[in-house]
Amino acid sequence: MDDQNTVLEASALRKQYDLGAVRVDALAGVDFTVRKGEFVAIMGPSGSGKSTLLHLLGGLDKPSAGEVTLAGKRLSLLNDQQSTLARRHNVGFVFQFFNLLPTLTAEENITLPIIIDGKDPGKFAERLNRLLDLVGLKDRRRHRPDQLSGGEQQRVAIARALITEPAIVLADEPTGNLDSKTGSIIMDLLRRSCDELEQAIVEVTHDPRAAAYADRVVFLRDGSVVNTVHMPKDMPLPQRVRCVMDAMETLEM
Amino acid sequence: MLTRMITLRSIRSRPLRTLLSMFGIVLGVAGILSIGITNQLALDSVTRLFKDTSGNSSLVVTSATNDNRGFRDRALRAIDGMPGIVAAVPSVHVQTVLSQDAPAGTLDLNMFGAGAGGGLMLYGIDPVLDLQARPYVLAEGRFLNDDIDAYEIVLTSAYASEKEIVVGNKISILTPNGPMRLRVVGFMKKEGPGQLNNGAFGVIPIRTAQKLFNRSGMIDQVDILASEDRKSSAALEALKADLQTTLGEDYSVVFPASQGKRMTQMLNSYQIGLNFLSGMALFVGAFLIYNAFSMTVVERTREFGMLRTVGMTRRQVMLQVLVEALVLGILGSGLGVGLGIFMAGGLSQMMSGLVGSPLGDLAIPTETLVTSISVGVIVTLLAALMPALQAGRVSPLEALRVRGNRREGLLIRWGWVLGAPLLVISAIILIRNPFSYDVQFRLGSIVVMSLFFGGTLMIPASVSIWERITRPFIRLLYGNSGRLGSSNVRRARQRTTLTVAALMVGVAMILVVRGMTESFKTDLDDWMNAFIGGDMFVSSSINMRQDVWRSLELVEGVAAASPIRFVEIKWLRPDGTDESLIFMGVDPVAYSRVTRFVFADKNTDEAAAMRRLDEGGAVFLSSVLSEKYGLKKGDSVQIKTRTGVQSFEIAAIVVDFYNQGMVIDGSWNDMRRYFKINDISALMLKVEPGQDVDGVKQRILDQYGKREHLTVESNVTLKARVTGLMRSAFSMFDVLAYIAVIVASMGVVNTLMMNVMERTQEIGMLRGVGMTRWQVVQMVLAEAGLLGIIGGVIGLVFGIILSRIFLIAMMAMSGYNITYQMPPQAVITALVVAIVVSQIAALLPARRAARIRILEAIHYE
Repeated sequence: MDDQNTVLEASALRKQYDLGAVRVDALAGVDFTVRKGEFVAIMGPSGSGKSTLLHLLGGLDKPSAGEVTLAGKRLSLLNDQQSTLARRHNVGFVFQFFNLLPTLTAEENITLPIIIDGKDPGKFAERLNRLLDLVGLKDRRRHRPDQLSGGEQQRVAIARALITEPAIVLADEPTGNLDSKTGSIIMDLLRRSCDELEQAIVEVTHDPRAAAYADRVVFLRDGSVVNTVHMPKDMPLPQRVRCVMDAMETLEM
Repeated sequence: MLTRMITLRSIRSRPLRTLLSMFGIVLGVAGILSIGITNQLALDSVTRLFKDTSGNSSLVVTSATNDNRGFRDRALRAIDGMPGIVAAVPSVHVQTVLSQDAPAGTLDLNMFGAGAGGGLMLYGIDPVLDLQARPYVLAEGRFLNDDIDAYEIVLTSAYASEKEIVVGNKISILTPNGPMRLRVVGFMKKEGPGQLNNGAFGVIPIRTAQKLFNRSGMIDQVDILASEDRKSSAALEALKADLQTTLGEDYSVVFPASQGKRMTQMLNSYQIGLNFLSGMALFVGAFLIYNAFSMTVVERTREFGMLRTVGMTRRQVMLQVLVEALVLGILGSGLGVGLGIFMAGGLSQMMSGLVGSPLGDLAIPTETLVTSISVGVIVTLLAALMPALQAGRVSPLEALRVRGNRREGLLIRWGWVLGAPLLVISAIILIRNPFSYDVQFRLGSIVVMSLFFGGTLMIPASVSIWERITRPFIRLLYGNSGRLGSSNVRRARQRTTLTVAALMVGVAMILVVRGMTESFKTDLDDWMNAFIGGDMFVSSSINMRQDVWRSLELVEGVAAASPIRFVEIKWLRPDGTDESLIFMGVDPVAYSRVTRFVFADKNTDEAAAMRRLDEGGAVFLSSVLSEKYGLKKGDSVQIKTRTGVQSFEIAAIVVDFYNQGMVIDGSWNDMRRYFKINDISALMLKVEPGQDVDGVKQRILDQYGKREHLTVESNVTLKARVTGLMRSAFSMFDVLAYIAVIVASMGVVNTLMMNVMERTQEIGMLRGVGMTRWQVVQMVLAEAGLLGIIGGVIGLVFGIILSRIFLIAMMAMSGYNITYQMPPQAVITALVVAIVVSQIAALLPARRAARIRILEAIHYE
């Protein structure tokens, strides 16, 4: 990896699915790099391969060809156990359906990756407090998921993704199951973790408003990158949204 | 149409679930059926034996004293003249052995006591008369002719071929006058009377029998053939009464089949136990069905919701579930019948070991078959009723809802309010009143069920407490991911409850069985050590003369010898009716030298009691009789003797399990005086200190073995065989208890499988955030472990309480006085079984959980 700041690099990534007799190219050779503190959004219509790309980046799936390098590790060389550990230590996931454990309290859910790692969550109290501060759930730390609203649950999920200080946070439609107001709170939160914690984030979304928070928006179509839009940090939000929508229009998405 | 499309496809699409839920029903039905078949078989074989062997006779006259000495044949004349009697058929019954076989192999043991093995039973008969009474079937040669003095014998062909005897041979049998030779003139088939003594049977002319066995003028039994007009039951009753009056109370007049009664009664308590346990197995099976169905309903909530949106009524949805249950019930019962018939084969073999004779061919009583199938189907339907109602309540909206927390049932939240009092009340009822008067234990069973039910209702409320208590322990065993797993038991509480309850019942059953076995065994051991006292047990194929006793005492190395004679007698119960008992005659002085009695009251002055026995006119009463009839030391008992009814003082109460405790111990002198008996059933020997038991045994065999036809067994081997017999009697209980545990383990598999499937998405997330496959396995194992611990501990408590209660009930029922014992190993075994079973049961679901593909799981909805 040339650049010291590159946390995630994908080169010539291909993924093919065999659907009976037909072979489908979900990804047809994608190059993709994320640097530290960078927020990247991946957009594209259904079936464009954006979720597949996210899964390959997170080591949830293996590519048919090409390589993903995560925090200096070449994922294709790892077996299931090793890639699990790589995920545990280097990737934070945020899912569309929050996916919290209903039996655990908010703070227990946040420290889940630490618990799984066999470490004492007590030693992470400071970071936990900082994250609870960040997501604004200090007074709800002992609540269980069924006592939290959808937005609050997703905030817990974000804190969980951040607790291990991963190399990268991968978010799959993080606002997909939320109303627009709550959605913007969540996106704001992701943006702040990127700015304040220098957290690299990759987000897959349908929603141009959610994509507007990113530094860079990558457009996929039929498994290939068809456009990339860069947005400077100081660009105001309405303009960013406009920018993304323009790009979508050009691509007839 | 709907049924075929939805119900049957649902069954087919979940083959594993279908099999698992059917398993409980299969086992329950198999248990009930096989026990039913075997019980019927045992009953049939015993009654048939007595019916076959007594053939056409309507009534049987025997001596009231029942002491094997018979009665004078002049009684025949009194009977012959009576109206309504076509013929009175006399017979003499003797026990002997082929000279070539003596000394016989080993002592023959069965549930009804001990006897010499390899013996040959002979009936001395009047051939002409006897053929009218008993249906002998000739296989070869000819039957006895009318010469009642001939030295001829007809054997069963089974016995003859075993001993390689052919028609025309002369065989030598042992008699009190030494070996005597008889010519074999024919063989009979092992049918009718040929089944007596399990086929080791033969007939000889009556006078020959009397001559050879020094029984001149004596007969043992008269079979009465009533005239046709007297064959109605009322007429027979009248005839029976007439005969009894004519003959007097020294004779007993009974119906042929009633002779088998005592034997069948003894099997009774054993059968009750088996029935009760198979009922429990079915109860656990019902749990499993309920569990499986409520899972299916949860799993198919969206499907049912969808069906409701397209216009299916609540009733239709409910019926779908019930039809599915019906199909499962029928399938399960069908398989259960197959398994039951198979199991009956093994069970009847065991039972025949207990009865001491083969049970005959397996026949399936229609009634039992119908009962077991209908119980299986009905239990399945009942168990599925609640889930079916639940399915009916699914609203169409639920089909559209993405996810949601299911409301917890009222019973889950408030069950303990009902459960706690139920538990306490049924426990109090059982302790206060163990239903000792109810031999079938019907009400008792209901109260036991309500005890379990109360306990079950308590489980949901206590799950959180359990989880908290065991948390450090679980973390230690399974790590952090284990703790995640164990906290899952709080989620599907209903499922958890049922699984725990099933395990609880299984564990409780193990403990009940172990506790009862152990309690029996401890007391039995005590008694056996005394009863088979000394170092050696000497018996013979025929009763020994008294001089054998003196001779053996003189053998080098023998310190003392004590004779025992078992005499079948009748006594008068306090209510005046008579009952058969065993009178065990011992010489108190010799007995004290070899062994001792086990006195029920530990403070008994042994020496004084033995002295009192020696003085005569006194007996020791078994604790069984004492409890049963409320007789105490100092009371007196009435016994029918050769010289009329005599009163004996009860000198002490002793623990004695011989003949199921139906035994009275008396002195040798009284026995000679009142029963005119002076031969010996068995001798107990004590070896001089420092002498080698085997050496002495060999010396006895060398000097007297052949001449006196002795069987000598060291008490160590004898005890081992008695213990073995006892163990095999109880092993069926063990089997049933373990079946319940296996059924419960199916419940664990089912519950965990369901949990894993329900949490697919969650497990996918955990894998996504870095949980390894092994950690997923640990998580599932921990959940199962906690189920095992809860079920094990609660089952332990219940098991201890119940075994205590059962013991009290059984003691009250049978009169055995037994000290309660709960072996610590059993407690540990039960806990270990619960936990290990839960772990094994969790393997499959754990593997499935570990194999969940993350990508599919995340998109699983």
